Amino acid sequence: MDKTTIEQSAKRLSEVQPSLNAVVTFAELPDEISTQGKLAGIPVVLKDNIITNGLRTTASSGILDNYIPVYDSIVAKRLKEAGAVIMAKASMDELGMGGTNRNAFTGPVHNPYDLDRISGGSSGGSAVLVASKAVPLAIGTDTGDSIRKPAAFCGVVGFKPTYGRIPRYGIIPYASSLDTVGTFTRSVKDAALALEVLAGRDDHDMTSSYEEVGEYSELLNDDLKGKKIGILRTVSDEIKNPDIKAAFDQLVDDLKNAGAIVSDLEMDRKLLELIAPVYKTIANAEATANHSNLDGIRFGVRKPGESVEDVMTASRTEGFSSYVRARFVIGSYSLFEENQDRLFRKAQKIRRLISEAYARLFEDQDVVLTIAAPDVAPKIEETSEVRFGIDRFEEEHMQLANFTGYPSIVLPLGLSDGLPFGVELTARPFEEQKLLDTAAGVEKVIDFQGEPTL
Amino acid sequence: MDSRLYNKQEKRQDRQPVWKGNLKVEKFSSEYFRKLANDLKFDLSDEEIEALKKDFLAVEKQVELFDTIDTDGVEPMIYPFETPTVFLREDEIVDVLDQDDALSNAADVRMGHVHVPKVVK
Repeated sequence: MDKTTIEQSAKRLSEVQPSLNAVVTFAELPDEISTQGKLAGIPVVLKDNIITNGLRTTASSGILDNYIPVYDSIVAKRLKEAGAVIMAKASMDELGMGGTNRNAFTGPVHNPYDLDRISGGSSGGSAVLVASKAVPLAIGTDTGDSIRKPAAFCGVVGFKPTYGRIPRYGIIPYASSLDTVGTFTRSVKDAALALEVLAGRDDHDMTSSYEEVGEYSELLNDDLKGKKIGILRTVSDEIKNPDIKAAFDQLVDDLKNAGAIVSDLEMDRKLLELIAPVYKTIANAEATANHSNLDGIRFGVRKPGESVEDVMTASRTEGFSSYVRARFVIGSYSLFEENQDRLFRKAQKIRRLISEAYARLFEDQDVVLTIAAPDVAPKIEETSEVRFGIDRFEEEHMQLANFTGYPSIVLPLGLSDGLPFGVELTARPFEEQKLLDTAAGVEKVIDFQGEPTL
Repeated sequence: MDSRLYNKQEKRQDRQPVWKGNLKVEKFSSEYFRKLANDLKFDLSDEEIEALKKDFLAVEKQVELFDTIDTDGVEPMIYPFETPTVFLREDEIVDVLDQDDALSNAADVRMGHVHVPKVVK
């Protein structure tokens, strides 16, 4: 793992906080630093939806502003057991809902390459703290590209493993059929090492997988000779930014020269255009059900009221942002008995059709490669959360890996006007070794040299 | 372990929440959204309701898009994988929180209980 001492990390975290606004809560550091374990002495930041015993966990929502958990998530437990030191909890879009990190209780997170721009979200705080070299490893969650989009915007490696690969016990959920834990690092090798520590079945999470965990970093092999890489052209052909287009074309040539077997792939545009509405229908519906326990009664910020109902209503009205309440309304609407078949169930059926079409791309490929985001991070004041509209599929295509559960990694590719952009590689489920091997080869070919200005 | 496995597909479908609208007001009126929000235990301001009315035009438009896709005979995809990972655990006590911990995040605790405003008046 990239060597940063606890002292260096603590200093850097306080140094960048006034500019990036990425930390929600700083952790009290332990008296003794472990010298045992795969992550001995490694400073780590956790997205603030990851429960940490005794350390405030807010999911960047007002309603959880005072919440101090009394147990550790599996992720926090495994990191501590591996010798890592939790330095801070990182800002996110409230409860994971959003892609800009503007919608956080503590305000927007800033991009270290240009402080006027968004970090991307929802795991924005984690992304910028790795990009600005405050920590070599940050944990995020990815429901619909929430690790990979900010990684692309911030020039770091963002890795969403297979659905169920890392147990989610102790993760404040968003949408349970899509939520996946993953990592931000500055190299593929570090992502591989972190996965070794975090992956593997735990009975506390009944959706976690029994699949064996590999020695991913030990076995990492960056040789691209004979690797079958399919290029998802339907998405990459939509790139308008000339710098990104040129860099992507160059990469494809370089991969061929490195011995990879590259072929072009297409996917039905009609299905791609359905990604965003299907995602929003499923995610909002699952979220509204998941967050019915946030009522200020047993935990969280309680507002006064004459009755239990009044207390809940006041706590939820003040505790959630306007944006999140709107998404709950939309989500619950699609779960009404009279709407369920035409909205929620229909979305679940289309999800299957999209997933089957996506799976067919992998029939003769080791990995599928395409552009991560079609452009660089937008300016903070120019972004607004589209609450429910039809989005461009080249913006939302990374949700394919959430629909299918496939492992997916974003690597920085280059800079356009000094701002990072990235590529996405995806593999079949539980083929993390193959994905990381190819990613390591692609990373070597790209040799990204971006440095944040901060 | 096999004997304890759920039939995942069936069980998970059973668990899908079915919420009744129970709305007797005109669809997409301000009153409609206020009622909808109150069922979810929060309030909406007039501005928030106006914004939602626009959102719902998009929601309904999306239904038209959904309708263009033939899903006859397609099973809903509820989770990414069909491999069973869910089973009934042994009935053994694990992970016990002591009472102080369990109550430590409640805003009002009296005599070892979470205290709320009087329910019966």
